[in-house]
Amino acid sequence: MAKKITGYIKLQIPAGKANPSPPVGPALGQKGVNIMEFCKQFNAKTADKDGLIIPVVITVFSDKSFTFITKTPPAAVLLKRAAKIEKGSPEPNRAKVGKVTKEQVKEIAQIKIPDLNAYDIDHAMSLVAGTARSMGINVED
Amino acid sequence: MNYYKEFTVTAEPFVPEIISSLLWELDISGINEEVNCLKIFAPQSAGLTVEQMNEVLQRLVNEKLLRNYYVEENLIEDKNWNEEWKKNIQVMKLSERIVIKPTFRDYSSSEGEIVITLDPKMSFGTGEHQTTRLMVKALEKYIKPGDKVLDIGSGTGILAIAAVKLGASSALGIDNDEWCLMNGIENCRLNLVDDKVKIRLAEITQIDEKEFDLIAANIQKNVLLNIAEKISAKLKKEGTAILSGLLDYDTDEVISHYKKCGMNFLDKYEMGEWAVLIFKN
Repeated sequence: MAKKITGYIKLQIPAGKANPSPPVGPALGQKGVNIMEFCKQFNAKTADKDGLIIPVVITVFSDKSFTFITKTPPAAVLLKRAAKIEKGSPEPNRAKVGKVTKEQVKEIAQIKIPDLNAYDIDHAMSLVAGTARSMGINVED
Repeated sequence: MNYYKEFTVTAEPFVPEIISSLLWELDISGINEEVNCLKIFAPQSAGLTVEQMNEVLQRLVNEKLLRNYYVEENLIEDKNWNEEWKKNIQVMKLSERIVIKPTFRDYSSSEGEIVITLDPKMSFGTGEHQTTRLMVKALEKYIKPGDKVLDIGSGTGILAIAAVKLGASSALGIDNDEWCLMNGIENCRLNLVDDKVKIRLAEITQIDEKEFDLIAANIQKNVLLNIAEKISAKLKKEGTAILSGLLDYDTDEVISHYKKCGMNFLDKYEMGEWAVLIFKN
């Protein structure tokens, strides 16, 4: 018989580095989920994505058991990878730190569209391009 | 006690993916996405301020991705978040001989059983996980009377305590987490093995002890790959390494790497999607 779902938890944590401190501890603890068990599974399953931020959606059931799915890294992380930079600019209007092409923005928008609440691909691209500019990454043709 | 700053971010429109995406530019430890807000966490020691958050969010306003936003800051204590889960845990029989008894449960042991009493808090190794069961199974087979044991990533201390109860003369448990130091020492006292089991806040590179007969490490693949040579160097010739925290599909890579470091693959136990590997130095 299917188990009753009692809630969902959405977190973003670094791959392979989940630990019982916030945000994992308070989010899972209040639903009675075994925090250490989640950390062990998450870290093992994301060990190969070291250095990336991983969004994870945890489904909690009435018997306190859980399952989880991991999603693609946030748009800013994908933009930094596309622009081959470590960090965005602290002064994006004045100091540009990298560039991406419109084609790269489209690729990232296509990856991220399920998470962006965008009406269509053009709207998703405008959100990704705006994120790029706010990090000091130029979007070029 | 450690403290964390919790920043609650609300915004119009609420575009969690874009907001959270940019906030990772700051020194934060994680994000919890709730229905209509984001909770951003950072250790108090990182010194993150509302002003820094505002500065990042203002960039999204400048790009017309947000119309407005609000950030509220709270300070929270990092505590034992596992209390709610703890209410449901029961006595667990890990193998024919080894039984894990939470401090708040009663249990009458049968002849030949080894009972380990644990106060499970926020450390790895409560006995529930398949890898702990596999590690205990391997310890039961490979521990010899009088062995000197090193447990890397000791967590609750469960494996170091089990090693001594199975006949090892001493065990050193090391972990890089402060919760584990306190919890491990407490559990050694509960089991009256604190004369033989020492728990220390350390990495393998920070201990002087060597010539171990057996090393147990239930951690994760990348860490085990990184410390392979150090494990080999800390073991006696023909000493045994028992490794887990590994998913079954990771084992070929780990076996290959440990062989390159001069260790011989002896055996593999599996349970569900998890595995334990055993090597001889």
